[in-house]
Amino acid sequence: MTRGAMLSLPVVLAGIALAFAWHIAVGAKTVPLGTVLTALTSYDRTIFDHVVVMDLRLPRAIYAVLVGASLSVAGALMQGITRNPLAEPGILGLLTGASFAVVILVGFFGSVAPVWIPLLAAVGAATTAALVWGIAAAAPGGSTPLTLILSGAAITAFLGAFIALANLLDQESFESLRVWLTGTLSSRAPAVLWWSLPWIAVGLVIALAIARQVTALAMGDETAVGLGVDVARLKALALVSVIALTAASVAIAGPMAFVGLVIPHITRIFVGSDYRLIVPFSAGFGAMYLLLIDIAARMVLAPVEVSTGIISAILGGPFFVWLVRARL
Amino acid sequence: MSVFVLSGFGGRFSWQLHRGALLLSVVLCATLCSIIAASLMSGSYPLTIREVGQTLFASAPSDTAKTVVWQFRFPRTLVAAIVGALFGLSGAILQNITRNPLADPSLVGVSQGASLAVVAAIVVFPEINQVWRPVLAFVGALAVAALIQSIAMQRTQGATMRFILTGIGVAAFIAAITNAMLTYGNIDQAQAALGWLAGSIHAVGWAEVWSLSLCLCILVPLLIWAARYMSVLRMGAEVATGLGLRVRFARMGLITLSVALAAFAVSAVGPLGFVGLVAPHLARRLAHSGVGQHLILTALTGAVMVALADHIGRTAFAPIQIPAGILTAILGVPVFLFLIVRQSQTRQL
Repeated sequence: MTRGAMLSLPVVLAGIALAFAWHIAVGAKTVPLGTVLTALTSYDRTIFDHVVVMDLRLPRAIYAVLVGASLSVAGALMQGITRNPLAEPGILGLLTGASFAVVILVGFFGSVAPVWIPLLAAVGAATTAALVWGIAAAAPGGSTPLTLILSGAAITAFLGAFIALANLLDQESFESLRVWLTGTLSSRAPAVLWWSLPWIAVGLVIALAIARQVTALAMGDETAVGLGVDVARLKALALVSVIALTAASVAIAGPMAFVGLVIPHITRIFVGSDYRLIVPFSAGFGAMYLLLIDIAARMVLAPVEVSTGIISAILGGPFFVWLVRARL
Repeated sequence: MSVFVLSGFGGRFSWQLHRGALLLSVVLCATLCSIIAASLMSGSYPLTIREVGQTLFASAPSDTAKTVVWQFRFPRTLVAAIVGALFGLSGAILQNITRNPLADPSLVGVSQGASLAVVAAIVVFPEINQVWRPVLAFVGALAVAALIQSIAMQRTQGATMRFILTGIGVAAFIAAITNAMLTYGNIDQAQAALGWLAGSIHAVGWAEVWSLSLCLCILVPLLIWAARYMSVLRMGAEVATGLGLRVRFARMGLITLSVALAAFAVSAVGPLGFVGLVAPHLARRLAHSGVGQHLILTALTGAVMVALADHIGRTAFAPIQIPAGILTAILGVPVFLFLIVRQSQTRQL
């Protein structure tokens, strides 16, 4: 680890802590930062502000941290493995695939126990990943950034149409899912969070473990083989990690596009191209980014709350266009 | 002979026709007529073909039949057909001038720009007259097209791929703003805008039929006049310049035309995806033809597609109506993927 990175680690952690506290403080009722701190340290059920902080704001902030970190690491791994600067769980259709699986089964059975939601999302994401990669690989010239993104966009439109169809045919079951489908951090049952945690843990551990080899892969498959990397195994592990992280974040927050695209690129500006640094710092920056985006989502049109996914897309869309111009 | 030439005015006007394509346009017209007849007959108040015929061409057998056919079903199926033709033509122009088989007004953000302008009008200025919708849609779509062009064309090499990718990014951005507007707006207006955004044709009446027919009558002759420039342009900018075409102007004019076609269609029924992409390819695969005739076939194919999608959406899950936009996406995506996989063969338009 370079000295610069060592020095910036506390800065990032402090940034997350600040964003976290700010995130809890703002909202329909502004809670002073001091009260936030006392609520976290010495909780008193009789004080209204403490209840707001612990029951409403704190879970949401934790969701933001977890989802931001998961999506950013997933995006970083996808960009590293495919050597495609535009790769991201949202753009390549994985988020829609995961949501599709959840939506269809919830529509089918009325409601699903929280333990199954991450699993369903993982199955959906894995199937979509296979589909998108398969189509891109079948195209002449193989899986270039263009073919990957086009097939991702097509699959997204396709599954999106089916989601809309299911939505129309059974309005009642989908009432609760409608907001979730735009990507939101509000109103998820805590049970889903507990069942998603193991998925996030597994995904992050794998990502950290393979980070060194992903760096080698950036020089090309042949070079990586020459450096002693088992490329097929590495890619399989990365895919498992990406799917676990994507599934968990979809289970918690619905499809939240563009986070996984923006953060790895910003991280590279600060820490360079070593994935041993990119992976942990992406997690940190991603957590901070989603906290800030969620603050914006609650503040721009207050008292109305905009979906977090909408803000993410408003910021991420232009970034994508800039990447297309700069990198392709 | 499978090719013959129509000419008049002492050879100043001539048109090469392919017999297969001519036959196909007759078949498509017949299909369109039968779809229209079928959708006039079916619904919660079923009619026989004889009753429909009487209602349309003579006196109606009953007042209910008259209302159902003239007020509800006929304008709706006509709008579906016209809109399909408009989207198809728009897509065909885009594909020809960008020389990109994957160009589609809904994929590259043109439809989204039109939607944003209309939704903004519905939500922010609810008192605005509906008459302005097409104009607003056109302005919004044109702004987006200009934006994408200016971003994508700065380095011309590899422009087609850049064009599409830029369009996808811009489309996501604009769709997000549209969504935010819906959250901000009051719930009734948002609900109205939502139905429109799904690409549904159920709320149209004769006003839309007349305004869309008017725009067909203005834009199609323009398009026929422009087809010769388009056929030069699709050989590539270098060849077109060599043949004496002012490429910049021709391209700008044609893009404006394509945007106008898509925008007017969007303003009536919302963004219908993938029709502009699929109709030109389908027309090309069904019959071999020149540029002008291909445009006619594309318009007919688009009309058949949307009329059929609307008919299925209306009857398949009755009484629930499925917006035609959902069906066109479900049918269009497999075609799109097929085109990606077969890209090398279809690159030469």
